[in-house]
Amino acid sequence: MFSLNNHLELRRVTITSLVTCIYLPSIVTVISYKGLLYSVGNASSFYVLVLIFVAELMKSFYLNSSNEFQVKKKSKNRASEVMKSIVFLLGVVFCFFIAIILFGAPVLDHHDGTLLLSSLLTLLTIFPLIAHTGVESAMQLLFGVKIFSRDTIIAMLVNNALMTVCGAWLGAVVIPLDWNTPWQQWPIPCYLGAIGGYLLSNVLTVSKVTLMSASNKYPALNFFVNVINRLHMSK
Amino acid sequence: MKEKWNFILYLVWFSYLILSAVLMFGQGFLLSRKTLSDVSECVPLKSFGCDGHQNSSVKVPCSDDNKIRRILSNSGSPIICAPKKNKVALILVDALRYDFTEYDESNASPLYYQNRLPVIRKTVDKWPNRARVFRFMADPPTTTLQRVKALVTGSLPTFIDMSANFAAMEIQEDNVIDQIVKQGNKAVLLGDDTWARLMPARWHRSHALYSFHTWDLDTVDNEVDSKIYDELKKSDWDILVAHYLGVDHAGHRYGPNHPEMARKLKETNARLERFIEMLPPDVILYVIGDHGMTETDSQEWKKSDGDHGGESKAERTAALFAYCSTGFAGDEADRQIGREVQQTDLASTLSAALGRPPPAPSLGNLLLPVLPNMPVAHTLLHLSNNLKQVTQYLVRYGEESQQISLDRLAQLINATRTQIGLAAGVETEADLRIYISDVRNLMDKVRGAFREVWVEFDSLSMLRALLLLLLAVFFNWIITEGIPVERIPHVFASSFVPSGLVSVAVCIGLCYTAYYLEILENVEHAIILSTGLVSGAITCVLVVMHWDGITQRWSEGRAQFYDRFARTALFASAVILVSNSYIIEEGATLSYLTLSVLGVIVWNVRTVKSFLLWAAFGGVMVLTRSYRGCREEQGDCWTAGEGSTTGNASRAALVLALGSVAAVIAIARRHVEWRGYGIVIAGIFACAHWAVGWGSLGSPSRSRMLARGAWLVIATMFVLLWRKDGRGATMPLVVSGLLFYLANTLVLGAAFAPTAGLALLSGFIALNVVPILKTEGSTKFSLATRCNSSMACLWALLASYHFYGTGHHATLGHVRWAAVFHAGDPNYTSFGTPISVVLMFIYLFGMPLMFGATVPLLALWGSKGASALGPRTQLAAVFSICLKFALCFAIRVFACALSATIHCRHLMIWGVFTPKLLFEVGSCFAALLGALIGAILTMWHIPSQVRSS
Repeated sequence: MFSLNNHLELRRVTITSLVTCIYLPSIVTVISYKGLLYSVGNASSFYVLVLIFVAELMKSFYLNSSNEFQVKKKSKNRASEVMKSIVFLLGVVFCFFIAIILFGAPVLDHHDGTLLLSSLLTLLTIFPLIAHTGVESAMQLLFGVKIFSRDTIIAMLVNNALMTVCGAWLGAVVIPLDWNTPWQQWPIPCYLGAIGGYLLSNVLTVSKVTLMSASNKYPALNFFVNVINRLHMSK
Repeated sequence: MKEKWNFILYLVWFSYLILSAVLMFGQGFLLSRKTLSDVSECVPLKSFGCDGHQNSSVKVPCSDDNKIRRILSNSGSPIICAPKKNKVALILVDALRYDFTEYDESNASPLYYQNRLPVIRKTVDKWPNRARVFRFMADPPTTTLQRVKALVTGSLPTFIDMSANFAAMEIQEDNVIDQIVKQGNKAVLLGDDTWARLMPARWHRSHALYSFHTWDLDTVDNEVDSKIYDELKKSDWDILVAHYLGVDHAGHRYGPNHPEMARKLKETNARLERFIEMLPPDVILYVIGDHGMTETDSQEWKKSDGDHGGESKAERTAALFAYCSTGFAGDEADRQIGREVQQTDLASTLSAALGRPPPAPSLGNLLLPVLPNMPVAHTLLHLSNNLKQVTQYLVRYGEESQQISLDRLAQLINATRTQIGLAAGVETEADLRIYISDVRNLMDKVRGAFREVWVEFDSLSMLRALLLLLLAVFFNWIITEGIPVERIPHVFASSFVPSGLVSVAVCIGLCYTAYYLEILENVEHAIILSTGLVSGAITCVLVVMHWDGITQRWSEGRAQFYDRFARTALFASAVILVSNSYIIEEGATLSYLTLSVLGVIVWNVRTVKSFLLWAAFGGVMVLTRSYRGCREEQGDCWTAGEGSTTGNASRAALVLALGSVAAVIAIARRHVEWRGYGIVIAGIFACAHWAVGWGSLGSPSRSRMLARGAWLVIATMFVLLWRKDGRGATMPLVVSGLLFYLANTLVLGAAFAPTAGLALLSGFIALNVVPILKTEGSTKFSLATRCNSSMACLWALLASYHFYGTGHHATLGHVRWAAVFHAGDPNYTSFGTPISVVLMFIYLFGMPLMFGATVPLLALWGSKGASALGPRTQLAAVFSICLKFALCFAIRVFACALSATIHCRHLMIWGVFTPKLLFEVGSCFAALLGALIGAILTMWHIPSQVRSS
């Protein structure tokens, strides 16, 4: 999926993934040291989402910085694009919200937790895609009209999104167990699972790029590259 | 078209393999015992004359001793009420292991559970005559409910205590408390509500507390403490039962080696000190543990610490401490600290102390060392009472059940009768001692005989059954997944199925011959085992013969991602059956998995229509959520009162029920041509049945008549399904689905009827997702997509989910029996039992039945379905999807059986795992039956001449 041909893109991918590998664990560490880890389902922990939002936005600026000399857009166009993105994002949050409830979240209560979880999922999955490619392309990608597997950056973003959803899905596994621990409260396992999936995906990207570069020198490492390739979601 | 009926025969063969293996497993696993309703009676000593006969004419006064001697020499005399009466305070400290009571002064650094009950050793040292401390051996299962049953009845409890009222929790047998209450004496209960639920309405005063939450260490104990000291001062009771739970809960939560355990034991110590101090002189104090707990490994933290339920020595060794201020009987040898005594002995001992005969099912021996001192004659009287009661029980059990061979029983009965006769010859203390030990040996023998059939699983047949299940599942999985679809018609047109069935028949014949020649003992097991093995071998041969095709198909490429995901989801739904928390929450889990499978399928298609279908499907699942029942283990939901559903529908529920049925028939009737009339009539009958029977103004008799009318129409329509009209199988299959829907609504009643409609709707939506699956060009591949295992897995998950979706739960206490009686009491008709069994079966497992009968639709539905293809291809597709569906249920049953084997001594085995196994077997049977009906319908309706297509 990744190729070593486009060194510029590869470097960007590596650096953004590395940044994620650093900032996301630090956020989690800080809130867990403050003893707030089990309150991520409350509305009071909204700031975590804001932090992630800012970080993702910075990342996307970095990723897009090269494209600017290719496409020069007028500022008015830009504003409408932003508006459209916001509306689209809200729609996605709502879709996630409905889907999570359909999957078995409480219907009548815990709406704040479910909403926080769906916002987190949107932030980690769709938001980077939109910030990178724009609403139209993102929708085309979502409905499988176009296939972007040639583009290294989009491949990474799609991979991240899928791993995030998988993480949240797997997080629900611990909820029915009768251990009566505080972290089994809805939506903490899914929340942390989503973050874990996103993180894992980024770690895999970084390690894969490293291994690929190293395997130029030591061909034996190709085996590990193949293993990681299999771990990456194939559609 | 030779293969047409071979397909059916193969499905029957497969069902036989699965069900026979399950039957064999059940015979080894479901320990059962016949509950007798007998009650021990005793005749007061006063009504005997001095010659030892009842109502005798001899009116010469004589001493009790002489009278007893005379009675003893008359071996046919009934049980006699013992004259001396004490009062008893029975303190049950849950999970009081024997080594908690030990006290070792030299131990400088005791563990948290050591040396915490010094009062016991101190009392024994101070008054060796007044106090006893013994090892109190429990029989497995060492769970509190079973132990309490065993303590009061003196018997060995099993999972199924077969009796008239199967579902209720109340003890159906004679027991100590009943004996006391019958006499007009008073019993008082404090503590755990297990006692109140087992023996309701027996208590003079009771203060029982709900105690399911095992993490609460103190509430119950404090409540008991607040009452017990006042109760001890009162004198109006004859037996006081107090059940402390703290130690058990501390063990569950922290394990024995934990400061909390030390605290609970210290509290217990203080209590005991106070009891001993304030105990009235005529009261005997028994402090017992009902079971122990597993050892802690202080090095590493393990989940199983402090649990119980199994048969390890630590779990079985509880403690018995007895104290009586007037002194106990027995000499040095009896007094020895830490002797092993059996828990079954408590019931007869308690009865003797209270002057009552032992309860009828008791298999216990008298524990003379914990009974007050009494003369030789009285001791003999108690002993002979006990022997007489056991003899009676042996005779009665032999009459009612064939579990123990008659020779064995006759031998035991003779031995006890002889022993009773010997009682008259006992004169001196020395004779008595020999006699007591003889009686003890005899009673051990009796207990041993019953223990063999009641307590020990037949692990050999369980393992054999698991092996057979595994064989059947494994080879059929390879056949369905490996052999290419286009080859299946040729395989089944060959002599494979006939030769297989012939060899099975030969096996059965051989087994019967061997049985006739008395080479074999258990002909049933031999048949199941041999036919299972032979079938395994034959399918293995088939797999070997087609190995080239299988390898070719597997090497051609992996299945689609959604296909693999669906298989994984089904596998996961089977694997989680080994965890009790997932079984408790299985409804939610199954809905989650079903939605995920459908979600991945939809993601594969990725069109707006497919997303909308998925959302609609999810919406239906959410709606069924409000009908899902609660079980006791789901704390919050249960205590909120949602668990107890009443059969009576509210007005809104009635409107919903009528509306749902009306909507279904209004939509469906246009599409099923002339068959629509039958559906409409049956639906109207059903609606009228609810409407007429509703509320206080309703007329129950007319309502019942209408229900019967509905059943009649449904049955007629079912017969009419077999009318050939030569237009393919889709229509009859749809109608059979609708008929099963109507049958389901009838048995579910108005309150739950909408759930059947929701189930139908969810199935319909899932069916409509199938045609939009991406097909890669040619029809051949499209067929492979249509009958791939993702559809079968989805359908099986959905069928399993709707067991919960229609308000059921996998607990025996949760079953409502009203379904049998909605059309009048069938027991007044000549086929009462079969009718009620069928109604109950449809009520519980109607959903797997409905989904099973409509499985062929997965292959045939839609314009792009297999119905456009040639009949041979259609048949192969239908057969393959039916077999896959059946296989899904077989896998789940196998997982259930395996988890029951793994957990066979688990705390929750009888509460969670075994009911789950029973209900899963029922679902599997319904699914197999349904798939068979669907397949036969398809085979019947598909035209047999080969079209040129």
